[in-house]
Amino acid sequence: MKKWLRRHETYVFLVIVLFSIIITSQNASFLTLENLFDLLKSYSFLGILAIGVLFVLISGGIDISFTAVATVAMYVMAIATIQYGGNMLTAFLIACSVGVALGLINAVIIYVFNIHSIITTIATLNIFYGVLTVLSGGKWIYGFPTWFREFADRRVLTLTNEAGVQYGLSTITLIWLAILIMAWVILRYTTLGRGLYAMGGNPDSAARVGFNIFRLQMFVYAFMGFLAGIAGVIQALLVQTVAPNSIVGKELDVLAAVVLGGASLFGGTGTLLGTMLGVALIAVMSNGLTMMRVPSFWYNVFIGLIIIISVSASAYRRRQRERRMIAVEAE
Amino acid sequence: MTRRTTLFLITLAVALASFLAVSCAVPAQQPAAEEPAEEYEIAVVVKITGIPWFNRLEEGVKQAAGELGVNAYQVGPADADPAQQAKVIEDLISKGVDAIAVVPNDAKSLEPVFAKAKEKGIVVLTHESPDQVGNDYDLELIDNVKFGQHHWDKLVENTGDSGQFAIYVGSLTVPLHNLWADEGLKHVEQEYPDLELVTERIPCGEDQELSRQKMLELLKAYPDLKGLVGFGSLGPPGAAQALQEKGLCDKISVVGTVIPSHAAPYLKNGCLDHGILWDPKDAGYGLVWMAQQMLDGKEIQNGMEIPEIGEIHLDGNIAKVDAMLDITADNVDDLGF
Repeated sequence: MKKWLRRHETYVFLVIVLFSIIITSQNASFLTLENLFDLLKSYSFLGILAIGVLFVLISGGIDISFTAVATVAMYVMAIATIQYGGNMLTAFLIACSVGVALGLINAVIIYVFNIHSIITTIATLNIFYGVLTVLSGGKWIYGFPTWFREFADRRVLTLTNEAGVQYGLSTITLIWLAILIMAWVILRYTTLGRGLYAMGGNPDSAARVGFNIFRLQMFVYAFMGFLAGIAGVIQALLVQTVAPNSIVGKELDVLAAVVLGGASLFGGTGTLLGTMLGVALIAVMSNGLTMMRVPSFWYNVFIGLIIIISVSASAYRRRQRERRMIAVEAE
Repeated sequence: MTRRTTLFLITLAVALASFLAVSCAVPAQQPAAEEPAEEYEIAVVVKITGIPWFNRLEEGVKQAAGELGVNAYQVGPADADPAQQAKVIEDLISKGVDAIAVVPNDAKSLEPVFAKAKEKGIVVLTHESPDQVGNDYDLELIDNVKFGQHHWDKLVENTGDSGQFAIYVGSLTVPLHNLWADEGLKHVEQEYPDLELVTERIPCGEDQELSRQKMLELLKAYPDLKGLVGFGSLGPPGAAQALQEKGLCDKISVVGTVIPSHAAPYLKNGCLDHGILWDPKDAGYGLVWMAQQMLDGKEIQNGMEIPEIGEIHLDGNIAKVDAMLDITADNVDDLGF
């Protein structure tokens, strides 16, 4: 019990429960399976990107460019799919290859020139996005093949509500879940995962213990790129339209979700559970405000407040803990 | 590196990122320099380059350049940012163009540059900016009051004149979207007192995924919802998509501003009931045409005819041409954009 109380995740979870109770008291249709499934589908995009960002943060870096990577991957995938056909598998393969390639560019620049990752990725965000706008002329792409449109509506579990409307667990959510499991295995059961925490905590010690820092960095940015590729396809599945500005600009939303979940911007800490709770908190807030019929003017104010409160609460608890430790040492 | 400096660096970098993202303007192609000197140089400055709306507008500019024998071209910032747009105009002034026609991001912030252009004797026109100060003329292809009202007339045709509806706008600061919403709501109050707006206008009309999500939420928050009016070309398709997913296309009507080719599938499957717009190509053509008239020393007058577009009704310095376009499943494939 005590151990639970010390964990950041517990507090985020309690906040989510609290909000859910408030929202449900105002509108009972919030706490329904249908709403849950809808949210799980809509937030797959944010959720998948958040996993990638968590990896980067754990490793002690930061990535701003993933939205541009996702956009480029989405464009290449859309053009190839519409021009040459293919199937869902090739669509994901193309997008992920593009993502991994761009991610590796980030990793190489960061490692070889030893430039801070935030500076590097801001630069590459602008380069990737800039080149894309120049080459594409900013044109929207739509008119995907039928199989691409149908995949978006596919469900693994279908239920019907009282009004006779079908709903259920979307295949898209399943992709998110699969990635989540993969990420969990990597972080928890592989040397690679332990290496990421070690590198984020202290790169010098990690190198001395025998971790190959360059390889770890290559992995982490390539993985981010891989997930950005998947997220790009999912965005295209969700809206069936590829627009250059539809993803870029959302990087701070994703970062906010990950930081809300307790990952530190200084590296070395962060859990998948926390990150998913962070995504859930943002989803519940945004969904709940409409459900509670709060006028739209207030959205941003609330989201900002939640971030400030949550992050300062966790900083406050950390300081308390440090104080206690200092007190012990003084004795 | 200490934590403090890292933190500082991150704050700085995030600030820098937003700045860079805004300022990575890619000025559009420069006109050919070897044009004969006596040809008028007319620059059309749009809100943002590379989006379908202004790509279509550019077609009109190019057509006018060819047909009217002027050197007309389109430029604009890479982001819809007032400061960047002002800078593009300043560059054109120093370059010494004959006329500048602007689709402003923010009317107020352009007043100083317009004054500067006027000092140099440059003709200044605007589009979609009826309250502009400092321009010679403003061209409007729709009557904004009628345009707003028309959306609810079309909604009522589909839903009947009672029931609940919601509104999407691009953002709460887009003047025209909010003007249309204001005028439409006044119209509703007078003509359709049994229609009920369920919540404040929702700012999601420029983001299709957000529009989809908001519709899903609206369906749950307001189970009796009967209609949606969407301003901003990604709003109505996003809403239509949510309805398609929920199989509610027959129960809820969506009416709004859309790009025809983009909205075509939703119009055809009935999830989007009616699109309303004007053709941005007409605006591009009309602006260049008006600029040429003025450079020729002719005055813009009531009843003048812009070729193939329509007759000008002058209201102060606002040149109104009624070119409102109804987009339905039947005509959507023939519009050409």
